[in-house]
Amino acid sequence: MNVRAMAAAVLVAALAVVAVGVGGASGGSSANTLTVWLQVDAQSGWSEVVAAANAQFKAQNPGWDVDVQYQTWGTHLAKFDATLAGGNAPDVIEMGNTEMTKYSAAGAFQDLTAISFPNKSTWLQGLAASGRYGGKIYGVPYYAGSRVVTYRTDLFRQAGGKIPQSQAEFIALAKRIGAKNKAKTFSPVYIAGTDWYVAMSFVYDYGGQIAITRKGKWVGTLDKPAALAGLAAYKRFFEASSRAPAGSNEGTPPPYDVMAHGNAASTYGAGWFTCCVGDYKSKVAQFVMPSHTKGQPIPGFLGGSDLAVPVGGSKDKAAAWISAFTDNASMTALRAKGNIPNTTSLLGTSVNERAARKSWFVPQSKNWVNVENGNVLRTMLQRILSGRSSIKDAASVASDNITYTLNQ
Amino acid sequence: MTVAAEAIAHRSRRRPRLKRIAHASVPYLLILPVIVVITAILGYPLYKLVTLSFQQYGLAELIQKKGVWIGFDNFSSVLHDEVFWRVLLRTVIFTAANVGLTIGLGTLIAFLLVRVSTWVRILLTAGLVLVWSMPAVVAVQVWVWMTNFENGILNYVLTELHVGDYTGHDWYGSTFSKLGMVTLLIVWGAIPFVAITVYAGLAQVPRELVEAAEIDGAGPGRVFRDVTFPVLKPIFLILTSLSIIWDFGVFTQPYLLIGSSAVDTSNYLMGVYVFIEGYSHSDFGRGAAISLLMLLIVAVLSIFYVRRMVKMGEAQ
Repeated sequence: MNVRAMAAAVLVAALAVVAVGVGGASGGSSANTLTVWLQVDAQSGWSEVVAAANAQFKAQNPGWDVDVQYQTWGTHLAKFDATLAGGNAPDVIEMGNTEMTKYSAAGAFQDLTAISFPNKSTWLQGLAASGRYGGKIYGVPYYAGSRVVTYRTDLFRQAGGKIPQSQAEFIALAKRIGAKNKAKTFSPVYIAGTDWYVAMSFVYDYGGQIAITRKGKWVGTLDKPAALAGLAAYKRFFEASSRAPAGSNEGTPPPYDVMAHGNAASTYGAGWFTCCVGDYKSKVAQFVMPSHTKGQPIPGFLGGSDLAVPVGGSKDKAAAWISAFTDNASMTALRAKGNIPNTTSLLGTSVNERAARKSWFVPQSKNWVNVENGNVLRTMLQRILSGRSSIKDAASVASDNITYTLNQ
Repeated sequence: MTVAAEAIAHRSRRRPRLKRIAHASVPYLLILPVIVVITAILGYPLYKLVTLSFQQYGLAELIQKKGVWIGFDNFSSVLHDEVFWRVLLRTVIFTAANVGLTIGLGTLIAFLLVRVSTWVRILLTAGLVLVWSMPAVVAVQVWVWMTNFENGILNYVLTELHVGDYTGHDWYGSTFSKLGMVTLLIVWGAIPFVAITVYAGLAQVPRELVEAAEIDGAGPGRVFRDVTFPVLKPIFLILTSLSIIWDFGVFTQPYLLIGSSAVDTSNYLMGVYVFIEGYSHSDFGRGAAISLLMLLIVAVLSIFYVRRMVKMGEAQ
């Protein structure tokens, strides 16, 4: 082989390597594949809605394929960081509304302001706000979820219970249910000890807050009297109603599993829990968790997800898929599953939608996600419920920690 | 060997200088592929890690693929963080407990293997190999199920055996019990390696030495201290230093068993701490600084053993 031929061969090989690199950077496994990261909630709850959106997208974009990869809340951000560094981020990613701000601020997403998504003018205010940063839209509201009480009608009836109108009534009912079901693992109202979404609802119910801004700085406020009263109410409620260990979390086991095992008469959690209570599916109903003030609902955490388009991928195709996945048909199907649709035009008066009327949200700081990852609130709750430290001590440690983390 | 080298040297004296150089470079050329591979898979990441540790490198820098040089700021912020020192102390204690238990129990099982009948030995060895070959993630998941408070088999069995009422008992209630469960899991997983290695080593202990000692009236303890242990010393040194390195940086077991929603500053081990600081908080520069410090600490911890091993090698 002469030198020139060899040089040509080397050049071709080098170009091939470059091409492979570029191919890898486009995100999908092949050029015409749209990679979508959704949470497993979609897989277990509404996979047919995903399939319908994929079919619609493929019909409108011949030659394109969709690769939906299901993620878990606990690990998807670390994986996302790795793909951002490697230049192979997914084309569409589902982000929790509490996770959006940090990534929008860091420039991880493409600007979607100019794209006309379905129902854009009637998006749910609270959810749409989490997708905006610096006046631009980075996240399309996907769905919201309020929290409601899912209960076994047979066990409630047995205890002579009407739907409780206040926390005091609910505690009394829980005690009556507990008296009739004495198994040590049986919870009248199953709540995982460190489920901070539930605990903070009590805090906001008593007028407390997690943190506020003062002179441009964040100040943790869990050690203030109103918040302490809320934490005390949470402890009272938990002790009267749940047999979950102080350190347990709402991920393992999921509360609906505990109900499916027959180990709980009710639980306070996501609206779609009715899907997965096993044999008791025909015996469950839902109501709005009451406030300590009679006749009022407790302020619930308005959880929710946005769909964002990471930098590097095809914006148009990603937006097309998001449009298919958030159109009226998809949203109607999601609503039928007990979720709150992303548009007020489809909002009804279901129990979830009534529960969503009064809601609270986490401090909108780009560092909030570090408070979550550091399990600051969960640690506080475990200390309180296990009696390892007083409510006041645990809350002031957590509050100082929050002040420090949010201002970093 | 030396004769051949002399012969080559003798012949090459008559050759032109260039050829001589080419000849002398053969060993280096032969070793070159290895050096290239090591540089690529170890040296380059290490170089990146060091440069990363001197940069402000967060999420925004990650996306732009360009960090900001900040000198020793990452190191000084870590060294001034009391969490770091608490985690370090906890990890050192944890490592000592784990290494001690692993080596101790592993050695006892090795002695057991020597004494039992052939078919029991085969059964035991098969069991040990099965444990050793189980992927850590799978093992953790099985342990999570077995120790689950709601319907784990551990609580059920303990209650049925009337050990006590363990219904709904939470095995992860306190920091001590969390790390205790992690220790159990790690020791369980690491014992096979120690047991099988020590068992293989025991075959090297000259039978006549043991017999001679026994005739002179030495009990089993004395035999172990004065005969078996000195012979097996190199093996114990290697096992201990490897175990220290593994246990000090262990991540999979504590992170998955304690769970991502329960790891916090009160139960971080070094491996989990660096993951949370680096990845969860997207502060990769700080994470790199911590992992370099970790590297340094492990080096200090195991230098004693490595030196002993080198000395032993020289003596031989």
